[in-house]
Amino acid sequence: MSASAAARPPAPESTAGRDTSRPVPFPRAARAVFDLALEGMVWSRRSLLMAILLGLPIAFGLLFRGVIVSRLPPRMTAFDLYGFVIAIYYIRNALPLAALFYATALIADEVDGRTITYLLTRPVRRGAILFGKFAAYLVTTACLTLPAVVITFFLLTTTRGWTGVGARVPDLFRDLGVVVLTLLAYGAFFTLMGVLLRRPVIPGLLFLFVWELVANLPGYMPRLTITAYLRSLIRHRPPDEGLAEIFGQVLPTALCLEALGAMIVVFLAAALWIFAAREYVLEQ
Amino acid sequence: MTAALEYVRASRWYGQVIALNDVTTTVGPGVTGLLGPNGAGKSTFLKLAAGQLAPSQGEVRVLGKPAWGSPELFHRVGTCPEPDAFWENLTGQQFLMALLRLTGFEEAECVRRAQAALEQVALTEARDRKIGGYSKGMRQRIKMAQALAHDPDVLLLDEPLSGMDPVNRRRTVDLVKRLGREGKTVLVSSHILHEVEAMTRRVLLIHNGRILAEGDVREIRDLMDEHPHTVALRARDPRRLAQAVVGAPHVISLSFGAEGEWVTVQTARPDEFYAALPEAAVGSGVTEMYSPDENLESVFRYLVAR
Repeated sequence: MSASAAARPPAPESTAGRDTSRPVPFPRAARAVFDLALEGMVWSRRSLLMAILLGLPIAFGLLFRGVIVSRLPPRMTAFDLYGFVIAIYYIRNALPLAALFYATALIADEVDGRTITYLLTRPVRRGAILFGKFAAYLVTTACLTLPAVVITFFLLTTTRGWTGVGARVPDLFRDLGVVVLTLLAYGAFFTLMGVLLRRPVIPGLLFLFVWELVANLPGYMPRLTITAYLRSLIRHRPPDEGLAEIFGQVLPTALCLEALGAMIVVFLAAALWIFAAREYVLEQ
Repeated sequence: MTAALEYVRASRWYGQVIALNDVTTTVGPGVTGLLGPNGAGKSTFLKLAAGQLAPSQGEVRVLGKPAWGSPELFHRVGTCPEPDAFWENLTGQQFLMALLRLTGFEEAECVRRAQAALEQVALTEARDRKIGGYSKGMRQRIKMAQALAHDPDVLLLDEPLSGMDPVNRRRTVDLVKRLGREGKTVLVSSHILHEVEAMTRRVLLIHNGRILAEGDVREIRDLMDEHPHTVALRARDPRRLAQAVVGAPHVISLSFGAEGEWVTVQTARPDEFYAALPEAAVGSGVTEMYSPDENLESVFRYLVAR
């Protein structure tokens, strides 16, 4: 028997208007992955659960208007309560959890479902795959969270009428920005964990509910957390007594933005680099 | 002039396990069968060419470029992976459209190509159904369609006939043969000699991570005659299927599976059995068919012992 080593002329480098000598341009490839990932995320059971988790404050707002408002301590305003919901419920718990469950699954779902082969055998850079999926995560979670925050804001702050609400609207916009930053920062971190670890959820939970408690310590240690920077960006903090201590120390806004920006860039860049170099077929 | 696929002293190991061992070979235009029992290294061989694995040692080149780390190759390479895995919520058409967008085509071109690919695998009528609701054979065909839709020069097909009913098996075999005649380089893996033989006469025999032999399938086929061949068939009416095949002189034995839908046939002359099967399958509604691995395993044991 002999080997057949027939040769053939090279195919044209450009077919159907595409340059086949290089991968599909990054923005175009990322957009195609984004569309595909968004379709999968929007109609997933995970999104249903997250919609409930992220929309829970709306139910709380309705309950507050009907039952709790009359029992609020005299020093605490409805706006303070809204601040509590934003800082403690969304920024500290619900959004990091949402980021954990979405971002660690960006690649893990494809590996577990064994669909990653379809993505990795297309003429696209791997970075575009991860970037497109990250964008889909961000849009999905932002669409679930931002309307819920706005509705909660108005439900809680208009309990005793609309007086003074207008003056608080800039704070609402700031909160919406912090919500997006939270999704970005934790999303980037958990995306990195997702490409690094085979089972990232438990380490992620430990990070959120053990390591992030460091933010409550005095000194420089809180600067090693993500949450310390995020909670410092919340302008409307509860009064000095009562709930104030759970917000920990306040870091300068410029430092927070710089630190969060750096974290997002570094975590995402590291995730892209690892994903580009890794063989995922082995895990099948 | 470059061969479409080149393996130069390529090895691949997973920890202590050697999946592919110092393989040097080339694959040119036309259909080439990659034949070997499960665990022989077929999938590793294909995944190295598909850029999904990097060689631990040596080189694997596709169309003159290293397969690992050259995503641009996938403009000209189509892969049909072995796992039965999909984004189940997508329809057949959406699945193809999504992957064509990822290959860089404009929207109108994606539509045109998706429709053409669906037509090629006879799934046009099912294009708007979710893949989650497809039968095993339809899932195999949509997987083939995504490999073909961008009209690649090189096709890497991992067990493409697995689970297909006899009619679609025949159709897919014809499609693969046509692609080979058109000058495309088609590497198709299987653990069933007769399946490969229906598509090509050129084979690479792989066993324990090594290329045992390469060349004409007839020389291997002769060895097969010494070994009974087993075929498992799933049918809507298994009793009718049994009646249709039991009297044939080439059938040695026949048994029913535990769930009642499966019929397992042992035949001394597989060629005659496969030739007669479509007729027998029509009335009994055969939906799935596979050949257990032991047939080829026994041939390989024989080859290795020689």
